[in-house]
Amino acid sequence: MKKPTQKKPSARAVLARMFGATVEGISIEKSVLTGYAAVDGKKVCVIGTCDGTYIDNGAALRLAAHVIECIERAPKTPIVMLVDSAGQEPNRVAEMLGLASYFGHLLSCLELARRKGHKLITVATGQAVGGAFLCYGMFADRIYALDSASVGLMPIAAMSAVTKIPAPVLEKLSKTMPSLEFGAAPFALLGGVEEVWSASDDIQAKLAAAIAASSTEDNRAELGKKRGGRKLALDIRKKVLAESAR
Amino acid sequence: MTGAILFHELTARQRVAALVDAGSFSELLPPPERITSPYLAQLGIPVSFDDGLVIGHARIGGKKIYLAAQVGQFVGGAVGEIHGAKLTGLFKAAARDKLPCVLIIESGGVRLHEGSSGEIAIAETMRAIFECRALKVPTIAVIATDIGAFGGIGILSTCCDFRIMTEHGRLGISGPIVIEKWMGKKAYDSANRALVWKTSGGKTKYLLGDADALVHDTADAVRDGISKFLGKSSAVSLVSVKARQKELQKRLKKFGAASDPDTVWKSMGVRDIQAASLASGPEFAALAKRGK
Repeated sequence: MKKPTQKKPSARAVLARMFGATVEGISIEKSVLTGYAAVDGKKVCVIGTCDGTYIDNGAALRLAAHVIECIERAPKTPIVMLVDSAGQEPNRVAEMLGLASYFGHLLSCLELARRKGHKLITVATGQAVGGAFLCYGMFADRIYALDSASVGLMPIAAMSAVTKIPAPVLEKLSKTMPSLEFGAAPFALLGGVEEVWSASDDIQAKLAAAIAASSTEDNRAELGKKRGGRKLALDIRKKVLAESAR
Repeated sequence: MTGAILFHELTARQRVAALVDAGSFSELLPPPERITSPYLAQLGIPVSFDDGLVIGHARIGGKKIYLAAQVGQFVGGAVGEIHGAKLTGLFKAAARDKLPCVLIIESGGVRLHEGSSGEIAIAETMRAIFECRALKVPTIAVIATDIGAFGGIGILSTCCDFRIMTEHGRLGISGPIVIEKWMGKKAYDSANRALVWKTSGGKTKYLLGDADALVHDTADAVRDGISKFLGKSSAVSLVSVKARQKELQKRLKKFGAASDPDTVWKSMGVRDIQAASLASGPEFAALAKRGK
């Protein structure tokens, strides 16, 4: 299901591109990243996943623990969240234990960080699909993606397999409906990603600028409308707000 | 009014009508406005004039609330662009007006036919829910059917202050059929209803502390459950997240290697598994001590 292509840079290489020598402060344990690094000479907290790993109850707890530690020991330090995860592995025991609650807890920790003045920036570095993107990455103040990242609900082949709609039909529709297309660029058209960074970009400079420009105002619906990928969401939301105010 | 009809047997609009003070519901973006999914239309799939979500304001016991009910019969209550935008808008209205927001969940998560738009909408709604929570505006999820709360909506439900479940309700991310496909029938037989409910059902969720109330499968009981939480909120504080971290760590350590849900039930104080399986939600709650 998640066959890594040969071109994919290693997790360490991706980290080095973002944090230079300060990458030393980030530990990788079972494909879960936690630690501290620096962007433009300023300290940042780092949490994330790599190697397209599955995120389970234990991984969610380790990420949450690091967020709590950052809130306590490094007040207001920006938190950079890296996402390269295939999602949650369908597992009965994980479900029995309440995986959804583990994810909800991670989100609560991030919300607390936001309220306490930590900026939250996500960079989708590899796979950013399904539940693993929802359980922390999509909760950031601002979300970015490398152009090599696989961002979206699921590839068209998988969508076709589940919905029983022939892949060519979905392919054709995706030309006019970016929501059906898989990838960082169409996801950005929907407003789900602020900006896509390419291989030639100076990622450290981009990240520093992203942290500086971050805002806690969720702008995704506005972006989606402006970019034409998600035309309805903002107006429907506004309609609800207007009708309910009467 | 609904007599002996069970809450899970009602349609979304019937649920709303049965829960709120008589005649108090006022629907926002009602079906006559004909706001339908362009995605489904393009795919030749029937659309629905409410896109599978009933939203509005009403009163419960005289208190004004915002209320949403998902329509499970329409593409499994799944969240598309419009459905999701209605949901986000409702929680934002609740935050603006400082009124409690109740979500009657019946959804398998993102509507796959609409791709990533539904996924983003769920993320946006999560942000709106936490906006409410920061203002101490109560957010309450009701999970009462076998469609339950799964996928992104399962995660979203855990962002609310409180979850009210019935024994019939199910909460999770991956459903039994998906897990069976992945792990094999030997590890998880999706036709084994007892196992399925012990894995994701209201009783186990209540025992573990993921559901805050376990009520009878009737509109009256659900309304009573909602009423109890309307004046309350659950703060996101350093103290609360640290306590939760400890609790979830303990749970993982204790049951991470358990393959049988009966182990969880037993260690949570359920002595007679057979009797507990047959017990109603509130009876069950009385049989077992709370799993904190």
